[in-house]
Amino acid sequence: MDILHNLFYGFSVGLQPSNLLFCFLGVLMGTLIGVLPGIGPVGAMSILLPATFRMSPISAIIMLAGIYYGAQYGGSTTSILVNIPGEASSIVTCLDGYQMAKQGRAGPALGIAAFGSFIAGTLGIVGLMIFASPLAEFGLKFGSPEYFSVVLLGLTLVTYLSRGSKIKALMMAAFGVILSCIGIDQINASPRMTFNVTQLWDGIDIVSIAMGLFGISEILINIEETTTAEIIKTRIRNLLPSLSDWRQSIWAILRGTVLGFFLGILPGGGPTLSSFGSYAIEKRISKTPDRFGTGAIEGVAGPESANNAASAGNFIPLFTLGIPGNAMMALLFGALLIHGMRPGPLLIKDHPDLFWGVVSTMYIGNVMLLILNLPLIPLWVKILKVPYGVLFPLILVFCLIGSYSVRNDIFGVLVMIIFGILGYLFRKFDYEGAPLLLGFILGPMFELNLRQSLLFSKGSFLIFFTRPISAVAITIAIILLIYSFISLFIKR
Amino acid sequence: MSLRDQWSGLFWAAIAIFVCLISVPIGIGTFKSPGPGFLPFWSGVFLGVLSVALVIMSILQGKEEGRISSLWRGLKWHKVILVLTSLFIYTLLLPILGYLITTSGLLILLFGIRRKQRLWIQVLSALITAWVSYLIFYVWLEVQLPKGIFGS
Repeated sequence: MDILHNLFYGFSVGLQPSNLLFCFLGVLMGTLIGVLPGIGPVGAMSILLPATFRMSPISAIIMLAGIYYGAQYGGSTTSILVNIPGEASSIVTCLDGYQMAKQGRAGPALGIAAFGSFIAGTLGIVGLMIFASPLAEFGLKFGSPEYFSVVLLGLTLVTYLSRGSKIKALMMAAFGVILSCIGIDQINASPRMTFNVTQLWDGIDIVSIAMGLFGISEILINIEETTTAEIIKTRIRNLLPSLSDWRQSIWAILRGTVLGFFLGILPGGGPTLSSFGSYAIEKRISKTPDRFGTGAIEGVAGPESANNAASAGNFIPLFTLGIPGNAMMALLFGALLIHGMRPGPLLIKDHPDLFWGVVSTMYIGNVMLLILNLPLIPLWVKILKVPYGVLFPLILVFCLIGSYSVRNDIFGVLVMIIFGILGYLFRKFDYEGAPLLLGFILGPMFELNLRQSLLFSKGSFLIFFTRPISAVAITIAIILLIYSFISLFIKR
Repeated sequence: MSLRDQWSGLFWAAIAIFVCLISVPIGIGTFKSPGPGFLPFWSGVFLGVLSVALVIMSILQGKEEGRISSLWRGLKWHKVILVLTSLFIYTLLLPILGYLITTSGLLILLFGIRRKQRLWIQVLSALITAWVSYLIFYVWLEVQLPKGIFGS
C-alpha cells in the first residue's frame, strides 16, 4: 500500500506541466541521440547538464533520466536500418535486426524492439519501486568501512565486467581516482595537486571531463573516418508485429527483462552487458540457433528488452546507496550533487518528491517513447540522412557552451579539450573512458571512507573484515582482483 | 597485447611516478593517520604496478601489430589536428573577441571540414548557427557567454 501511495504522490509531482514537458524533452532528445551514431547518452547528458542548472532539481533529473532510457529505445533504429548501432547497448541488435531489414522485415523488427523496450522498461520500473526502499533501509546500516568496501567492489566489478582489457580498465579507474584528488582535501582542507592554478582549487569539473572523454573524442574519431553508412532503401511497413512474431518474442522479452534488471543493479552491469547476455541466452536455449544472425526476431526482442530493463535497474544503487554503477549514473550522481542533493540511503526519505517523481515520469516516459517511436520512425530515418559534416559542428558548439557555462570561465573549455584529446588517444589505444569517469566520481567517497575507517581502527585494515557487510564486499572485490590478475597470465 | 600497449604502459608508468613524487610533499601520513597525499600516493603505486604489468605482458607475448602510426593509416588524421588547433585558438580568442565573432569564425571552418560546399553557404550556415545558439543560450537560458571587446 505504501508503494501505491508513494506512486500516486510521485504522479502528482510527475504530472505537473513543467515536469511533463522536461520528461518529454528528455525522452525526445534521448531517442534522437540514440538514433544518431556518433553521440551517446553520456555525451548528450554531459552536454545538456549545464543547461539544467536553472531548472528545478526534480525537472533536471527527470530530463536527464529521460535522455538515458530514451537513448536505449532510439539505439535500435540505426542498428536495424543502417547496421550501425546508435549505442553500444544496441550492437547485438545489428546481428538480426539488420538481416530482418534486408529481408523486407524492418517494420516488425522496429516494432518488436519498441514493444519489447516498453514492456521491459515498465517492468523494470516496477522492480525499481519494489527494491529501492528496502535497499535504502539496508544502506542506513552502512558506516565508513561498509561504504569503502562497497565502493571498492563497485570499482572492481566495473573493471571486471568491462568489454576490453581488465588491466586497462583498472588503470583507468585508478587514474580517475587520482584525478578526483585534485583540489581541496576533504579532511585537512588543504590544496593538493593544484600546481598553483587557482581554478584547480575546486577540482576538475565532471562536466568538462565527460564532455571531453565522450563528446569531443567521439567527434575526433568520426571526422577522421572516410566511410559513410548506407541506409537500407526499403519501405518500412507493418510496424505492428504479427501473432507469430509475438509468439516467438514474448519469452525472449520476459527473459531479457529479468536478466537486464538484475544485471543493471550490479555496478558495471549496464545495458550493454545485458543486451549481450540476453542474446547469448536466447541463442543457447533456441531450438534453432542457426537462425540467429540471419534475421531471428528473438535476437532483436531479447537484447532490446534487456537494455531497457537494465537502464531501470541502474537507478537502484544510485538512489539507495549513492553508488553509481556506470558512466551515465555517474553523471546523474554529479547532477544530483550540483542541484544540492546527496545520493544515498537518505535520498528517498529526504527527497521523496524527487525519487517518486522520477519513478512516475519513467512510466509516463515509457508510454511517450512507445507513442513517439513507432509513428516517428520515418522522421528518425530522415534525421539519419543529415550529414555528419553538418551535425558535428553543432555538437561541438553545445560542448563549448556547456563547458564554459559550468564556471563561466575558459578554463572549463580548456579542460574539455585536453580530455577530448586524451579520450581520442584512449580509444586509439583501447582504453575505455567509463572506468575513469566512475573512478573520478567514486574517488571522494572512496578516500573519505578509507581515511575515516583507518582513523577509527588506528591503522588496522582488519576493520574491513570484522564487519559483516564490509567483509563480504571486500572479500568479493579481492577475489575478483586476484582472479583478474591470474586470468591475464593463464590466457597467455 | 602489442607495441601500443608497451608505449601506453610506459606512459602510464611515467604518470604513476609523477603522481607518487608530487604526493610526498603533500603528506602521505601513516596508516594510523593518513594524510592528504595518502590516496594519490597509493593510487599512483597501484597505477604504476599495473602499467609495469602491462608492459611486461606485451613484451612476453612478443606479437607486434605494426607501428603506432598504423593506428592512423588510411584515416584523415589531419582533420583531427585542424579541429584541435582551431579549438585551442578559439579558447584563446573567446575572451577577447566574444562569443558571437569567435564562434562564427570557428563554425565557418568546421562546416567545411567534412563537406565541400560553396563558401557563402558555409559562411551563412555558420552565422545562422552562431546567432541561433546565442539566442537560445544567452537570451533564453541566460547562460553567461563572454562578450569580448566588441561587447558581443
